[in-house]
Amino acid sequence: MLKLSNISASIQGTQILRDVNLHLPKGKMIGLIGRNGAGKTTLMRTIMGVLPCSTGQIMIDGQDMTKLAAHERAKAKVGFMPEDRRLIPTLTVEENILIPAWANNIPEADAKLAWVYELMPEVEGFSERKALQLSGGQQKLVALARALMSGTHILLLDEPFEGVAPALSRRLLTVLQTLKEEGLSVLLSESDYTHSADLVDQVYIIERGEVREEGVTQAAE
Amino acid sequence: MKKSTYISLFVLTGVLIALGLIVPYWLSFLITVALSKGLVVLGLMLLMRAGMVSFGQGLYYCAGAYSVGAFSQYFKIDDILVLLLVAISVGGTVSAIVGLLLARYREIFFAMFSMAFSMILYGILVKSTSFGSSDGFNVISPTLFGWAPQLEGGPILPFITISLIVMIVSIMMYHYFNSPMGMAGEAIRENEIRVEYLGISVHRVIYYKYIMAAVLASIGGAMTAMTVGHIDPEMAYWTTSGEFVFITLMGGTAHVAAPFLGAVVFELMRSFAFQYSPYTWQMVLGIALLAIIIFLPKGLWSLKSKIIKGDQV
Repeated sequence: MLKLSNISASIQGTQILRDVNLHLPKGKMIGLIGRNGAGKTTLMRTIMGVLPCSTGQIMIDGQDMTKLAAHERAKAKVGFMPEDRRLIPTLTVEENILIPAWANNIPEADAKLAWVYELMPEVEGFSERKALQLSGGQQKLVALARALMSGTHILLLDEPFEGVAPALSRRLLTVLQTLKEEGLSVLLSESDYTHSADLVDQVYIIERGEVREEGVTQAAE
Repeated sequence: MKKSTYISLFVLTGVLIALGLIVPYWLSFLITVALSKGLVVLGLMLLMRAGMVSFGQGLYYCAGAYSVGAFSQYFKIDDILVLLLVAISVGGTVSAIVGLLLARYREIFFAMFSMAFSMILYGILVKSTSFGSSDGFNVISPTLFGWAPQLEGGPILPFITISLIVMIVSIMMYHYFNSPMGMAGEAIRENEIRVEYLGISVHRVIYYKYIMAAVLASIGGAMTAMTVGHIDPEMAYWTTSGEFVFITLMGGTAHVAAPFLGAVVFELMRSFAFQYSPYTWQMVLGIALLAIIIFLPKGLWSLKSKIIKGDQV
């Protein structure tokens, strides 16, 4: 599904990622674990094409995505939920969620939106509010809903539990469990391994831009 | 847009045209020029919503005016619809070429590059004796299929035409701003990167917006030329572009009607300031802009929401 081979990337001359290899199979959930500054977000940004990789190859569904622009990669049914949520404050929640559908001409946008609302009914409750009126936790849910509109095959979640109240963390875990059951491939990054330990099938430990360890989790076994 | 809003807009346009036939000619003339400039400002607002400030809309304002002037003079055609089509074609073609370069730049670089292109046109026109050099040249009064209604004081066709253009453009732009492409502008202003990973090509969105703004400026320039009856290279000078930025700040960017409100208030204020204070009229305008920035930072249009909410202005 998603395969990274020898990915290296630099920011302003400083090498951040070093020969990263990662394989996300269909319907699996992978945890990318590492401390702050380990390169988790950089790897996500590189996969999305926001940051170019200096070496290596990014394959999605057997297609080479390495040279594609960010907006073209989004059309490969990859959804990205960045750590800082990045909603558009002046637009309503529903407009924020629908942007990927408009951008990628998703024909069944209404059905997809209905599915997202079914998955997270609380989002429908504040769908007409402006994004700037939401709390941090609500913004996380909306960012996930937006990522789901385009991420029908692969979902990249950057620190989804960061700065989230315990109750909302549990809610997010429930949603992710449902997504996993529905066969979505998910790459999820975390600083610690506390939230998603029971959920992910495989972990990659990343340190100083290198994958130091990888292994199958108890949840998968 | 609700059906009632359409009806209100049609009625408002009808009332405006009727008033234009009643009020003194100087006032209908002033409103025609103001609404023409409002079109340019509407284009600028389109760019500003995407976080781009152009100090070079004078390029298309002038290009629209000169294309109308040159076409009518050399081909002896005075039909207003044909002349407007010529202006749109010229503005659209030039912006499609210049936009390829400018859509790559942001912030101060975009502002300065746009101004540079405008000043290049100014430099060319000032040196072109065939276009009247720095004096410019006169533009013939337009007709519509040979019809040229006159009022005491001058022709009224430009006023009727601009009123209808403003109505049509307002409807189109209202729908555009509420469309995904229109909303993408605000998203780009907030953060370009997120727009990219959501699947939207930022470069393409900016490029199309640039062309749209240029076409609006060309129509504004063409209408000004046909109303005033004279054009000169000052239309491309950077102070003219600065004036459009001034009006945009004055009117605000919250609504399609804001640029027209700003332009009418600006033209009225300038006329009266010039009449009653001929040596310090620029100072009067400067103080007015300062007052608006301090008390109405979102422009004159924000008065509406303040009045509706009952907030203290």
